[in-house]
Amino acid sequence: MKETFKEVPSIWTTGWTDILNTGTWRSAIPFYQKRLAPCHCACPVDGEIPTWIMLARKQHYREAWSSLVDNNPFPAVTGRICHHPCEGACNRREYDGAVAVNALEQFVGDLALSEGWALPQPTVALDQKIAVIGGGPAGLSCAYQLKRLGYKVTIFETRPELGGVLRYGIPSYRLAKETWDGELRRLEALGIEVKLNHSVKASDLSGLEKEYSAVFLALGAQSSKTLPQFSVDNLRVFNGLDFLEKVNRGEAPPLGQDVVVIGGGSVALDVAGTARRLGSQVKVLALEARESLPAQPDELTESLEEGVEILAGVMVQNVGISFETLSLHCIRVTLDENSPAGVLRPIPLSGTEFSVSATNVILAVGQDAELTGWDSVINVGQSLVRVDANLATNRPGIFAGGDVTPAERFVSTAIGQGKKAAQSIDKYLKKPYSKGISSKDTQTSQDVVAYQEINMFYFPEQNREEKGTVAVEERLKNFAELKIGFSPQQTQTQSERCFSCGNCVECDNCFYFCPDMAVVKDSSLTEHYRILDQFCKGCGSCVQECPRGAVVLKEETGR
Amino acid sequence: MKMGYQINEEKVFNSGHAACPGCSEALAMRYIVNTLGPDTIGVVPPSCIAIISGPQPLSSMRMPVYQTTLEASAASATGIARALKAKGNDHTKVVVMAGDGGTYDIGFQSLSSAAERNEDFIYVCLDNEGYMNTGSQKSSATPYLAYTASTPAGKQTPKKNLAEIMAAHRIPYMATATTGYPEDLARKVAKAKEMKGLRFILVLAPCLDGWGLADNAGPKVSRLAVESGVFPLYEIENGERYTLNYGSKGTPVSQYLALQKRYRHLNQAQIEEIQREVDLEWQRLQRKLAT
Amino acid sequence: MNKNNNRILVNGNHAVAYGVRLAQPKVVPIYPITPQTPIVEKISEFQAAGEMVVELMTAESEHSAMAACITASLTGVRVFTATASQGLMLMHEMLHYASGARAPIVMFNVNRTIGSPWGFWPDQTDSLAQRDTGWIQYYCEHGQESLDTVLQAYRVAEKVMLPAMVMHEAFYVSHALDIVEVPAQEMVDQYLPDFNPLHRLDPEIGESWGNTVNQEMFYRHRRDLGLAMESVINVAQEADLEWRELTGRGYGIIEEYCCEGAELVIATMGSMVGTARDAVDNLRKEGVPVGLIKVKLFRPFPFEAVRQALRGVPKVMVLDRNFAPGTGGFLHQELKAALYGLERGPAIHGYLTGVGGTNISPTNIAALVREAMSTQPVTSSVWKG
Repeated sequence: MKETFKEVPSIWTTGWTDILNTGTWRSAIPFYQKRLAPCHCACPVDGEIPTWIMLARKQHYREAWSSLVDNNPFPAVTGRICHHPCEGACNRREYDGAVAVNALEQFVGDLALSEGWALPQPTVALDQKIAVIGGGPAGLSCAYQLKRLGYKVTIFETRPELGGVLRYGIPSYRLAKETWDGELRRLEALGIEVKLNHSVKASDLSGLEKEYSAVFLALGAQSSKTLPQFSVDNLRVFNGLDFLEKVNRGEAPPLGQDVVVIGGGSVALDVAGTARRLGSQVKVLALEARESLPAQPDELTESLEEGVEILAGVMVQNVGISFETLSLHCIRVTLDENSPAGVLRPIPLSGTEFSVSATNVILAVGQDAELTGWDSVINVGQSLVRVDANLATNRPGIFAGGDVTPAERFVSTAIGQGKKAAQSIDKYLKKPYSKGISSKDTQTSQDVVAYQEINMFYFPEQNREEKGTVAVEERLKNFAELKIGFSPQQTQTQSERCFSCGNCVECDNCFYFCPDMAVVKDSSLTEHYRILDQFCKGCGSCVQECPRGAVVLKEETGR
Repeated sequence: MKMGYQINEEKVFNSGHAACPGCSEALAMRYIVNTLGPDTIGVVPPSCIAIISGPQPLSSMRMPVYQTTLEASAASATGIARALKAKGNDHTKVVVMAGDGGTYDIGFQSLSSAAERNEDFIYVCLDNEGYMNTGSQKSSATPYLAYTASTPAGKQTPKKNLAEIMAAHRIPYMATATTGYPEDLARKVAKAKEMKGLRFILVLAPCLDGWGLADNAGPKVSRLAVESGVFPLYEIENGERYTLNYGSKGTPVSQYLALQKRYRHLNQAQIEEIQREVDLEWQRLQRKLAT
Repeated sequence: MNKNNNRILVNGNHAVAYGVRLAQPKVVPIYPITPQTPIVEKISEFQAAGEMVVELMTAESEHSAMAACITASLTGVRVFTATASQGLMLMHEMLHYASGARAPIVMFNVNRTIGSPWGFWPDQTDSLAQRDTGWIQYYCEHGQESLDTVLQAYRVAEKVMLPAMVMHEAFYVSHALDIVEVPAQEMVDQYLPDFNPLHRLDPEIGESWGNTVNQEMFYRHRRDLGLAMESVINVAQEADLEWRELTGRGYGIIEEYCCEGAELVIATMGSMVGTARDAVDNLRKEGVPVGLIKVKLFRPFPFEAVRQALRGVPKVMVLDRNFAPGTGGFLHQELKAALYGLERGPAIHGYLTGVGGTNISPTNIAALVREAMSTQPVTSSVWKG
């Protein structure tokens, strides 16, 4: 037997196993990775929803608000009127109901207003000036982001006040004036130059180009569509946007007892609710079938509660005019399934004619952009400004976004576009222009966390709560907000329902479930945890036990 | 509602041990010894636990551990406990960590005797329902109809109810636990640590290799065992006072069985039979809880 | 020399208990079995009366009793237990475990027949069958020797770190009354230092015991154990010499009795020695040149001592109250091995006398001596009642 090597004692131990390298056993290693939550993916302003909900849950409301206003300067607004595609995409929907993201946003936004939190001032001051044409949600959002980046910004607004649909289109029972004012004042405090009552025509463009380094066109779609059955001269026929604007300015036109609203979207229902509050009986006639109405489901519910009668799948064929009333001769229709997207082709069902009489008819059948003359300076197609993926028009330095471009017609979409345009303008001005798309957080993986990756054991069932609503009799008396936002307790319990898909919340499950203690907590890392190369055997327990898919197993090659 | 588990641990269990990736026993050992702390002496019989304890001259635990013969865990622990007492040491804890073979079968005699004498140590049985270290042979802890290398057609007799047997000895504390609920396990160890006399904890530790599970499935399977009523987590004090911690949620036992290769041979009638037995046992436990 | 000594009339088992009390073990696992039970009963009485401060553990089997002895010893306290026959058999696994653990346990084993069939009779096969387990083995002739040897055994065991078992036979010694001198506690305290092992199960040290080892470690461990066992020869002699100085009583590792000019020397162990002493005295009166060696220390086998004692002796007659099928008497076999190659070594008769506890009287032995002197020995052990 060899006597030359150092003799290891045969009994009684002398040391510990942590000098052994069991990491050589594995073929895959866990990898912490912020992954896309489906809500974030669906959010039109690219909001970091799991992040701000987690902050709200911890009652770090100020920080939650800071996260929200990174992407959107008006959380109190969107917390009221956003169409919340986040909730539609929410992984919790399949389990026991989506997280009430919209209501949570409203709570934080309202708190910011009552606490008087200010938006942070820009830290640099750049020389370049940018012109933003249009003071609606897209324009304001773009101006805000550019201001944050340090640019000088001037907004040109046709009307006497900023806001666009936020000021003139949305009834105050959806968005209280004080709330809107609060949000706007905070933005104005950043020092953006505003020229009100100032229309910009296509011919002004070259002049603007000399004075400004870039221009963002956010003209909106403010030209109401008409229907051939209704003469524009008839004093008893209004267009919806016009009607809403007048009411918002305090100049409501007189309405008779029987108002008929034509259209099935949010504008139509806003018109209907407004008319109800002004004292009229209201019917809504829409081409679309009840299930396919473009309005939001809760808007529809509210309208029905308020006594609005919805006649879906109906077309007005012609109108009989008498001194007191209009007779609408209607027929039931179905929509051609084969018609191109966005085009409604009604197919009348013969023998279903009926008549409706109205003292007033308000048309809310869609809006077009008013682009007369613009097609000589930039590309315009199908009545909308043509833009590329960076929201650039064909004319260098001229960008466009919001309802004037082919975008979904939602306020939050417009806000998102404004932000994106600001980022594009910034890149355009800072480096040679490239067609690259502005990147999201490069660390975030592009695969979205699916419901199957959530470990339900860690989420006991807890019902989703809805915002409260004021009783119908009270609602109809005035234009006060019909929805009641969450209380702090509701905010707490409802924010606790967020799975935080793909976003580590330092629950420490990975740390606790490792039989080899190969997961180490490290607060200096953004990932919060470190895997010990020497010990990890690649079993994947941490991955399986992460309730939210924030850690994945990656094959290791070439070790 | 807190975000996650909060378990206090002292650093007694070391990395670098030889457990299989994802091993439930290693996970259990972590919470047992890290809760008891370094002022503890461990006793381990031949088992996977012994392998995890370390290759000579290294130990995976920063506390003295004595490896004994398979039938003698409780007697060995008694010797240590008595010697400590004779030396006037009333603070050092003694803990046995033994497998089901060394507890239900060959080690049962010495365990029963130590319980009768109410010796002062904690006995933790890491139950993976078979002699897994020697390649998955049947023990009296193997459940009805499970495949093992020595019962290839499925074991024909039910699992011994050791929890009730130990409680019948009227020891101060008997608890069941499992690795899918680490905080519960740590709490029970901490509770036992503060008591005197023979404290017995039965930990269901799914064996990845022996049960035929994926490397990452240990905690998930152990939770299904609880939620389907196969292995409820409860405590019995002094043989009388029952407290349920986590019980059946009515999950069909088929979901639990489906994850395990050792049940792959079952037909529908057998699964239903197992379901009936599980339901009966759950009802029995409920009656005891009610009194 | 023996101040404050205490002479009492006790049976052999109780004498052992008095010896154990003097050693002050801290943990004593006990399990009853005829005929050792009086040892542990007496210890229990001492404890109940407050004369011994000791943790008595009533184990449910001897196997568990030995398991507890090992761990208590490894935790760093002196331990004791007693058993016999079936109990010793049941402990067999743990006997190996104890010596491998280098745990200096002292155990008293009352030699009794092993089943099957059942019997309670004096027969040394039970402990002799454990000769390979790495335990030191002493065979005693009478109660006083048993008491004295228990204390010597602690001294030796704790010096070399090997367990030791001390034997006397069922009923002939265990239950026979005799006058026994119980030494003073102070003297024993002088003789036996505190037990304070360097390696032990102690959270302050943090060492663990019992990991699986590789082949090379195992080999070294066995070699070290063997060296420790070999050193017992000198250590046991020293321990016995010092005991003699303190008490006036010494036994040696072997004892030569009337061997001057002997033509035949009887070799035996245990109570048979006492009977043989009488036979030798009687024969010598008749002018028969016979002597006797008592093998007291059986493990390690005192090769040198017996070779020296038997060099030039024409014949040896071994009396074995024990039997192993296939090899015969244990002492017969061991002696043959020890004496192999000895120049002027004796011819050896091996007689099986008293197997199963049959009574062997001095007359029987005398007859055997005459027979042995006048016949040629055969290789195997011969049944002689």
